[in-house]
Amino acid sequence: MRRGIAASALVAALAVTLAACGSSGSSGGSAPAAGASVDPGKVSGSVTYWDTSDAKAEAPTYQAVIADFEKKYPNIKVNYVNVPFGDAQNKVKNAFSTGTDAPDVIRSEVAWTPELAADHYLLPLDGTSALVNPDDYLPNPVAATKYDGKTYAVPQVTDTMALFYNKKMFADAGITNPPKSVDELKADSLAIKQKLGKTGFYLRGDDAYWSLSFLYGEGGDLVDANSKTVTIDNPAGVKAFSLMKDLVDSGAAKTSVTDGWTNMMSDFQSGNVAMMINGPWSLATINSGGGAFTDKSNLGIAVVPAGSAAQAAPQGGQSYAIYAGSKNTAASEVFVQYMSSPEAQTKIFQGTGALPTRKSVWAQPEVADTDEAKFFKDAIDKAHQRPWIPEGGTLFAPLVTEYTAMLSGKESPQTAVKNAGDAYRKNLGWK
Amino acid sequence: MAQNDTARKDAVQGRKRSPGASVALHAGLIAASVVSAFPVLWIFLTSLKPAGHETSSKFVDHPTFAAYGDLLSHTEFLTWFGNSVLIAGCTTLVGCFLAATTGYAVSRFRFPGMRPVMWTLLITQMFPVAILIVPLYQLLAKLQLLNQPIGLILTYLTIAVPFSAWTMKGYFDTIPTEIDEAGRIDGLNPFGTFWRLILPLARPGLAVTAFYNFITAWGEVAYATQFMTGTDKMTLSAGMQTFVNQYSENWSMMSTASVLIAIPAAIVFLLVQRHLVAGQTAGSVK
Amino acid sequence: MAAVDTTTGRPGAPAASGDAPARGPRRAAGPPSLRAGRLRLALSKHWYAWTLVAPVVIVIAVLVGYPLVEGIYLSTTNANDQNTEKQIGQFLHIPATYKSVGLGNYTDILFGANSTFWARLGFTVSWTVACVGVSFLIGLALAIMLNRRVRFRAFYRTLLILPWAVPAFVSTFSWRFIMNHDRGFLNHALQALGLPAVDWLNDPTMAQVSVIIVNIWLSFPFVMVAVLGGLQSIPAELYEAAEMDGATAWQKFWYITLPALRPVSSTVILLSTIWTFNMFPVIFLLTNGGPGDSTQLLVTYAYNEAFTGMRQFGESSAWGVIILLILVVFAVFYRRSLRKQGEVW
Repeated sequence: MRRGIAASALVAALAVTLAACGSSGSSGGSAPAAGASVDPGKVSGSVTYWDTSDAKAEAPTYQAVIADFEKKYPNIKVNYVNVPFGDAQNKVKNAFSTGTDAPDVIRSEVAWTPELAADHYLLPLDGTSALVNPDDYLPNPVAATKYDGKTYAVPQVTDTMALFYNKKMFADAGITNPPKSVDELKADSLAIKQKLGKTGFYLRGDDAYWSLSFLYGEGGDLVDANSKTVTIDNPAGVKAFSLMKDLVDSGAAKTSVTDGWTNMMSDFQSGNVAMMINGPWSLATINSGGGAFTDKSNLGIAVVPAGSAAQAAPQGGQSYAIYAGSKNTAASEVFVQYMSSPEAQTKIFQGTGALPTRKSVWAQPEVADTDEAKFFKDAIDKAHQRPWIPEGGTLFAPLVTEYTAMLSGKESPQTAVKNAGDAYRKNLGWK
Repeated sequence: MAQNDTARKDAVQGRKRSPGASVALHAGLIAASVVSAFPVLWIFLTSLKPAGHETSSKFVDHPTFAAYGDLLSHTEFLTWFGNSVLIAGCTTLVGCFLAATTGYAVSRFRFPGMRPVMWTLLITQMFPVAILIVPLYQLLAKLQLLNQPIGLILTYLTIAVPFSAWTMKGYFDTIPTEIDEAGRIDGLNPFGTFWRLILPLARPGLAVTAFYNFITAWGEVAYATQFMTGTDKMTLSAGMQTFVNQYSENWSMMSTASVLIAIPAAIVFLLVQRHLVAGQTAGSVK
Repeated sequence: MAAVDTTTGRPGAPAASGDAPARGPRRAAGPPSLRAGRLRLALSKHWYAWTLVAPVVIVIAVLVGYPLVEGIYLSTTNANDQNTEKQIGQFLHIPATYKSVGLGNYTDILFGANSTFWARLGFTVSWTVACVGVSFLIGLALAIMLNRRVRFRAFYRTLLILPWAVPAFVSTFSWRFIMNHDRGFLNHALQALGLPAVDWLNDPTMAQVSVIIVNIWLSFPFVMVAVLGGLQSIPAELYEAAEMDGATAWQKFWYITLPALRPVSSTVILLSTIWTFNMFPVIFLLTNGGPGDSTQLLVTYAYNEAFTGMRQFGESSAWGVIILLILVVFAVFYRRSLRKQGEVW
């Protein structure tokens, strides 16, 4: 299996060369040469695209955009595959590592891109026709597509989290403005509890992603990738976990460590809970579910409450990435170019509510004038960058374990963050 | 004859049952039936609840069949259904055949290698599937069997056959060896004895095996999701996972899909269940 | 009719073919010529048995044997997503660069700092014993009830088998609804009876009980069907004879039913134990191992540790081998205790 250093060095050198000229489309399609100057209309081939969007709420929109693409480029056939998100990362890695039945283009979650790039699976896109006018993309989503100085993906959609609240419940409890800090969140929640007998805030307890805005608020983070240090168990981490525990223990918030999504959405929608932290992906459910939000103007959205040090929510999103072993790189680049074009992004925003990644799209009136865009534009620019490292995907499993242990009273906040930190140090080999 | 025998045994055992005992027996069976059927009923009721009411604890809440329509129009339901039928059907047929031959061999013959075979079958069940997936994926890739029904069928056979062979061995053990001898005296070779005399007598065992093979292939998710890479090649169970998204879960679609997955399984069960307990004593006559 | 055979249900009954006994150590091979002769003899004697098992052995050897051997090898390395061999497209091949770490993965798992192996093993064993024990007792009781002549028998049988007929991931979802704290049917029913709500899935101890309940629900029908088959094979004559001797119902159960069921139940218990020990979907879908790691089995814990994000093939293989060894040890002891009671396999 291993052939000694010389051979592997040779292959590695070859790998770089091949990757560099992979975009010339030598192995597939009829494109003469790639690069931004090629006429995309002359490219032919077929593109297999693995999408991980929700099969009911989002996929139909993406399929409609793909149909537009095929109409515009009749020589390129797109083979659309919807892959269940839960198993998608492993499935992508399995297919990429054997080169058998692998997709040409994937929808890469922001945290996957650095890992897949580090594994040599992705085609560098700088200077190719996939990445047109790079300056038009928002800087935050672009940051998540870089690895080792190169661009390995094109941002598709971006997201962050915000505080969603029930305006009527706020008015009934005599609260005029949404809470700006965690302290205000607690005070408002207790007021709601006292006046309405309802719970103020829902803290999603089964997914640690929902704890990040509290962690960032205290100035903490999971790790510091620059100095290669684990930071989850520093005093800011302890404080953030203690704050969440206090919100639950004091009755200001409720939580559950299983079925968090369903419980949170049902409680918020039925008016049992006045506030939750959530992302734009919840809008489709809220808008279709009726309940307290049959009148859509009852929904308020505000920036996540600030902690003692900062006010920030995590940045998420998806990108398009091209397989380095694709036989159809030229066609894939044209496909990615079209799918991330302003008209495609506008259509995707209108169909799914997922936020665009291009400045020019945000400027268009049909986007800019919507309520979501008005609120989220500011939040997107302020979103907290996650550590874009290949090991990023390993950070959440230990955190979920400790987060649920802390919320269910099995562990103290101190123990929980310390255990998470120890797990990180073991997995990453950092300080 | 088998029926008579069973009836006689029932008569023997039931003779002295008092009315009180009868009531207790029925009460026990009813209670157990309610507990075993309720979660299945509940998922059906959930599938009729509209979005936003999925978690309602009412039995019926704004009933609608909308999710069924959505499911059929937004997914390649019928293609997946066909794939599942093909894959589960082949797994069942081939699995039953292999399990029966293997089970018969280890039940009847003492041959060198018999114990290693029994142990091997057991050991294959011991290594966690979740960890086997990646090497198996690479192997199927090398054999060019990815994204093909045959690759998945072979994989399911490795799960289903070891257990089935053990079960079949147990059932063959209960069939008296005199029948084999009678076959030999009549001039049948071992295969003829097995095929013409023993297999028909092992019908209940075959029914259990068939059902087990079917349900293994029908409800399996992990392998199917990894090994089938094209939309048109997915199985029903794997395709339905697309309703669980990164941050959210689409319960009305999930429960609807669940019902549609469960119904064919239940039908297969109804078809085989009368064989399940159709009098093992059948093996003791003639 | 009269030929009902009392040896029925005894595996290891005299073999029809008169083959060499499988028990006892194999004889040492003689000189080469003699050995070749024996081989020919063995071939002529056993060819049909070997033919019957060959297809299964070949398929299993390729599809499980090969990955298993590779897994054992990988368990002594630091293989992960980054350093394993890759074939990217048709032309780009990246060779493996992982290194041997000896038994490092094993010592890390068993004795490393913060190792929770022993705690997880403890829960896995309790879970296995509880699930297998209770579902066996329930299955046995229901099989005995169903074996009586009772009205609506087919109807009861159909309902009782439903948990097996519905794919496990479907019913696990249903249980998540039913056990939901605020909106679940169970808590509504309890409150209607004036009882306090139970935090089925959010309390660390209660969650352990809940996953066991769900798994028992999933697995009792298999026991029931298997035992029912076994019960039907017990000759009625045995009961008749016992009744003539004035045996009580309990004596009949203890001295006739239970011994006759032993071949069926030993297989059922052995297989259930192996499956339950490695039960992945129930835990994964119901609690995902939480709260904290309270419902984490060895197999789900291993998956969580080594298979989320960047996959650690070396570490996960070591977990797999450890689990395999635990189960092999169990099977060896189990077989030994059965052998004392006259079972052979």
